[in-house]
Amino acid sequence: MLIEYQSQRVSLWYFRLALVLFILQVILGLWLSINYAFTLPQELVNVFPFSTARALHTNLLVAWMLLGFMGGTYYILPPECSRDLFSEKIAYLQLIIFVGAAVTAVVGFLFGWTQGKPLLEIPLPLDWVIVVAALMFIANVAMTIIKAEVRTALQWMLLGGVTFLALMYLFGMPFYQNLNTDYYYWWWVIHLWVEGAWEVVTASIVAYIIMRVTGVDRKVVEKWLYVETGLFLFTGIVGTGHHYYWIGAPDYWIWWGGIFSALEPLPIVLMVVDTWMHVRERKNPIVNPLTWYYIIGLAIYHLVGAGLWGFMHTLPPINYYTHGSQVTVSHGHLAFFGAYALLNLTIFYFAMPRLKGINKYDDQLGKWGFWITTIGMFILGLVFGIAGILQTYLERFLDIGYSTAHLTMMFWFRVAFGVGLVFLAGVVITVYHLFTIRPSNLPAPEPVVAPAADI
Amino acid sequence: MTGKTARLIFWLGTLSSAAIFLWQTYDFHKQTPKFTHTDKLTEQVVAGKKVWHKYNCNDCHTILGFGGYYAPDMTKAFYRLGENNIASIVQHPEVMYKNSFRKMPQLGVTETETKQLVTFLRWVGDIENRHWPPQDEKFVEAYKLRESQPQKLDKVHLILQACGGCHTFENQGRNVGGDLTAIANRITYDRQTLINYMINPQSVRPGVAMPPQDVSPQTAGIIADFILSLKSTKEVSK
Repeated sequence: MLIEYQSQRVSLWYFRLALVLFILQVILGLWLSINYAFTLPQELVNVFPFSTARALHTNLLVAWMLLGFMGGTYYILPPECSRDLFSEKIAYLQLIIFVGAAVTAVVGFLFGWTQGKPLLEIPLPLDWVIVVAALMFIANVAMTIIKAEVRTALQWMLLGGVTFLALMYLFGMPFYQNLNTDYYYWWWVIHLWVEGAWEVVTASIVAYIIMRVTGVDRKVVEKWLYVETGLFLFTGIVGTGHHYYWIGAPDYWIWWGGIFSALEPLPIVLMVVDTWMHVRERKNPIVNPLTWYYIIGLAIYHLVGAGLWGFMHTLPPINYYTHGSQVTVSHGHLAFFGAYALLNLTIFYFAMPRLKGINKYDDQLGKWGFWITTIGMFILGLVFGIAGILQTYLERFLDIGYSTAHLTMMFWFRVAFGVGLVFLAGVVITVYHLFTIRPSNLPAPEPVVAPAADI
Repeated sequence: MTGKTARLIFWLGTLSSAAIFLWQTYDFHKQTPKFTHTDKLTEQVVAGKKVWHKYNCNDCHTILGFGGYYAPDMTKAFYRLGENNIASIVQHPEVMYKNSFRKMPQLGVTETETKQLVTFLRWVGDIENRHWPPQDEKFVEAYKLRESQPQKLDKVHLILQACGGCHTFENQGRNVGGDLTAIANRITYDRQTLINYMINPQSVRPGVAMPPQDVSPQTAGIIADFILSLKSTKEVSK
């Protein structure tokens, strides 16, 4: 057996559901690109408008991300605490509640039951159901840590990250009378998630995985973790200001938002450096190269999609022209895929073989999946980027109307549809590979040092 | 670096950033009434915001640049389109976008809701957000000029503001009622007939689909001159 504690098994259902949602999300994404690239009949638009499909696309994204984070937390918590989870029942019950709320929300969207806020369309009664599930999750994590006999920095970082995550969700729930206040707090959810809480969770999980597979000393890994999360939060919290340039807020946001946001790539650079160093200084041999593809891919993609693209897009003089255009779409796709989709896939490739008792897995198919999805998404990001620069130039420099600009961009929307098809193929391959993962015929190299949790 | 220094970096970074951010939030709330004119944030505006949410407008349209990128930004929509246009689009998208490559769903928005929505968009248009989006600033200026000194108005802007909801001109506007240059070359009306036609189309051509336009005879005169100029010279004096 490769897992130390039976209760780690609860994570498997989180991973499986997340993977199914991932495929659904990409299918909906393709549907959105068809909406962009072709003219649809009015009758179809009336029953299944773009807005509904977009709500599904983005909510599926958030749902599979959160499932991955929660599953990942449940997977690493027992070995990190040297004990089983506080309660497996709570973990399963919470999953059922969460999925129940998600399915109800999806059906609701199809019938127009929505709160009408982008990404946070889930209506208030369902929000409360999700809050209940989140509270159960946090309680379970907290109790596991409290009852543990060992104390590690990673435990607290994880608990802090998920609590921060859940807390921020509350700010998206009320109805705000003032649109600008509405969006002020909307970003407390969206921004402080992706550039705050999620980064903390990511950094913790990556630190754990790196520690486990490289055998690098815990003290070194935890030191990096503190510095990285410290920088993430330092730049990320005030960096929220890069969303407040054009909402009707005081001028200082341009400076605070611009400068802190320009510093945001720093912790990501650190993350790339420390991943690279730990790989070089690893004490254990590489058992599963594909897991390493994902770990390194995550670090680099995170830096490019979130760091580089985000850096350019949020400089105020550039953002004045690119804000709310296809450039945002490009950044959104590269950042979410690079930072969080790859994180989740890293967790899955780390944990799922172990949950099935496989040490070295056969990774032929998975490698295809890795290269198709990563290259596919990168091209997709570039295509959206080209469309966005065209849009910015046509609409905001040449003063050509929205529709004419979009007609000119049509070619690129069609290319995006084509690339999207390839990406979907990559995702299906990856998910199929993860579901049917089996041992490799090649012998696995013996580990040199014991897993870090035992040190 | 020791573990202690690392922990210090974590707490210093997090807490200092959080402190700055909380102070900014406090200041934001203090200043928001000024930037968003909360004195004009009436019940009607709030009702309009609820309509905006109810039909999930924000997942196709951006507002303040946030939301879906599938349809134009609505921050300054009131100035870009005007009340009548917004009402026609919201209530009859299948007609307004009959010839468009992209459709808007027929949402079944009631007349009351439409009025509330327009009030909301009017209030949003006045949020002082550093003149964003850049492409709509001309409409804001044109609107304000049209109210005070129509004779000084850039003609193209005036025409697009008034007629662009249904007519195109040099690839701008919405192609429902045809291109203005094509129309100019087709019609045989004199200036006064054209003015009468705009104010009450049925009086000149019974059965025509164009609705009566809420323009003053003076503004209609400027528009008529403009359209007739397209015909005689095919040159536009911008």
